Amino acid sequence: MYKSKFEACLKRVQKPARYIGNEFNSVHKEKTSDMMSFAFCFPDVYEVGMSHLGMKILYHMLNERSDTVCERVFAPWDDMEREMNNAGIPLLSMESCTPVREFDIVGFTLQYEMSYSNVVNMLRLAEIPLRTSERREGDPFICCGGPCAYHAEPLAELVDFFILGEGEEVNNEVMDAYKVWKGSGEGREKFLETIVKIQGVYVPSFYDVEYNEDNTIKSFTPNREGVPARVKKRIVKDLDNTYIPEKLIVPFMETVHDRIMLEVFRGCIRGCRFCQAGYIYRPVRERSVDRLVKTAENAIAATGYEEMSMSSLSTSDYTCLEELTNRLLDITVDKRINLSLPSLRVDNFSMELMEKVQKVKKSGLTFAPEAGTQRLRDVINKNVTEADLLRTSKIAFGGGYNRMKLYFMLGLPTETDEDVLGIGELANKVIDSFYTLPPEERRGRSVSVTVSTSLFVPKPHTPFQWEPQNTIAELERKASMLSRSIKNRKIIYNWHSSDVSFLEAVFAKGDRRLGEVLISACELGCKFDGWTDFFDFDRWLHAFEIHGIDPRFYAYRKISYDEILPWDYADVGVSKDFMISEHEKAYRGETTSSCREKCSACGAAQFGGGVCFE
Amino acid sequence: MNMAKFISHLDLMRCFTRAINRSGMPVVFSQGFNPHMKMTFALPLPVGVSGLREAADIVFEDGVGDDEIKERLNENLPPDIRVTEVGDVGAKASDIVCAEYGVVLKTDDSAELNSIKDFFGRDEVIAMKLTKKKIEKPINIMEYIRAWEIEGNDSESIRLRLVLDAGGERNLKPDVVVAELAKACGKTDADSADICRREIFCRTREDGILERFY
Repeated sequence: MYKSKFEACLKRVQKPARYIGNEFNSVHKEKTSDMMSFAFCFPDVYEVGMSHLGMKILYHMLNERSDTVCERVFAPWDDMEREMNNAGIPLLSMESCTPVREFDIVGFTLQYEMSYSNVVNMLRLAEIPLRTSERREGDPFICCGGPCAYHAEPLAELVDFFILGEGEEVNNEVMDAYKVWKGSGEGREKFLETIVKIQGVYVPSFYDVEYNEDNTIKSFTPNREGVPARVKKRIVKDLDNTYIPEKLIVPFMETVHDRIMLEVFRGCIRGCRFCQAGYIYRPVRERSVDRLVKTAENAIAATGYEEMSMSSLSTSDYTCLEELTNRLLDITVDKRINLSLPSLRVDNFSMELMEKVQKVKKSGLTFAPEAGTQRLRDVINKNVTEADLLRTSKIAFGGGYNRMKLYFMLGLPTETDEDVLGIGELANKVIDSFYTLPPEERRGRSVSVTVSTSLFVPKPHTPFQWEPQNTIAELERKASMLSRSIKNRKIIYNWHSSDVSFLEAVFAKGDRRLGEVLISACELGCKFDGWTDFFDFDRWLHAFEIHGIDPRFYAYRKISYDEILPWDYADVGVSKDFMISEHEKAYRGETTSSCREKCSACGAAQFGGGVCFE
Repeated sequence: MNMAKFISHLDLMRCFTRAINRSGMPVVFSQGFNPHMKMTFALPLPVGVSGLREAADIVFEDGVGDDEIKERLNENLPPDIRVTEVGDVGAKASDIVCAEYGVVLKTDDSAELNSIKDFFGRDEVIAMKLTKKKIEKPINIMEYIRAWEIEGNDSESIRLRLVLDAGGERNLKPDVVVAELAKACGKTDADSADICRREIFCRTREDGILERFY
């Protein structure tokens, strides 16, 4: 009924292709009354959401079920939101233009904290009651998954249930339970009481939270029988024998990652202490070369993409990387498919590998030393040395590259001005390494290095979860000090706003009292906070003020080990003792071996698979 | 509802490239540092306008039959984009001079028929046109309209036929005409109008008579 009005809206907006759907391999199913419907929502714009691998997996997996229709929903850009609003159109699914509020389950994937305002806004546009307590029979259930589900207390009052971990198995169990419940005629709560027994399902309304006078958490306890004190995440033990979509949707418009993403493994053996992904995806589980090559072949045939990337947290740690690269090149070169290798680590980068991926097309080189001095790199357990970086850059410059990007973080725990200035010094040494090459070995007459700093955000489920963030003023002082210290015109320095990083820390470490702040912020117009053209810090501060909440409490406080953390409900499989020991080692400047060198007994072996049993 | 009309020209080219990749049919690539498929669309379709007889020049390697090309492309294109004919076309994109469009204006007011007649009777209607260099320039759109006709009307809509200059030399997008027309009529909303390109015409004959592109 909304289709013709919707079409008129499309004539008035930028990039209408964001909203048209009907892409090759998109799934269109007739929904009959005995079927279940799942709206898979990505709280950002189409070209961002369509770049996300997890959504592709779960969308196709749910649609494999004959009893379920899964359709996609993205956040409309603000021009489209305005047009839909003027035309009286609520948020619609992409495949069938069905109002999102008519779906049985509405699921959001939470990839970054700054998308929370879009979750609220999308619920509002869908005309779904925002708070769980306001939803009645006939309203959909709202669920969330993705990495932020491990610390999503700010959304606890808005979300009926969270799925912790990898959705390949849990989602099917939840749908099975929904089917039984739908036929039973029982109330909403009964469904939640059933699924809370599934490992990986967290129902926030089944827990009561009490606070101390100093605003820290006094107690966090289940309020009924059969609810676990902590929810253990779910993982897929054997990645070769799980659902891997091959008939991927091929968007019409260019998306951020417009290519086949071949997921080589999950998890990371490294254990960088600032990196949440390095802990929550443990243990490392690899796919076999045979399985990957078969997947790649099928995906190439089914999509026609001209580019493929191997995507994992640290692809160069794949144990059979050389064999895999060779076999992928065998099937890609003749078809003119460009194979790219992102997220290389400096310490195992080899010229040979670089030349292989260059066979088709040369792409830029990016490295992330993260900190400017060896001392600080040891603190964060980024096991990369200056010698490694300079050796690699020399090889790269000799091999024809003359541009390099270096990523660092400012505001890391224990950071001194010397560490900050070390970033500029390291960049200078990289430049110098170019000139130590004999002129006949240099390609190109000059060299340039781009230095980017992001700001450290202490993340839950990392050894730095107890750390305070540097204040905005301190981070800005450090960035401008670094900027002034860089005199070499061959170095370009970029840095990002600290306001967003502050809010990211607040919502990463926040508790459920922030739910009302989110709702107020949304009412004030906050959305697309990850986009600089939308982010409005003053509006956010206003929203905090309305509820008398000081955001600095969440971001700037040094937390003691015995405090109850808002994200303690989530058991990612890594013990708190291990986190404490890693935190203490950081202060002693001691590094921890990678999982392949030596097991550090973090606790992830309990899942019974992956690197722990190699 | 056909949503494919909202795909931009570049996106449509990419869509065909990938459909050809999926089909596995051999095509000829350009030589040089960055080889790409030899593929040209005769006349880009404006975003929001659908096309019934569009033309693309794609060079397949010898040995691929016309019927096979049609069948395998259709298997590999999204449902809203169809290949209707495959064959050799004598005309070149540079021969194109004009195109015919069908326009459905949504209106319940039959008095607007008179407004439409008045509109096309004017000598001058100035509208802004985006030049190739992306600069807005005022033009008299009447000079670009070769023919117009009211094809019919009912209680909900008025159907029009328009023939407008098209091609590399002089080109007017139909949505510009529809926007001006809607302004003149008052009650019609230009964004609810359905615009469709029916035919592309070119001048290849020596006597100057226009022919269909294919």
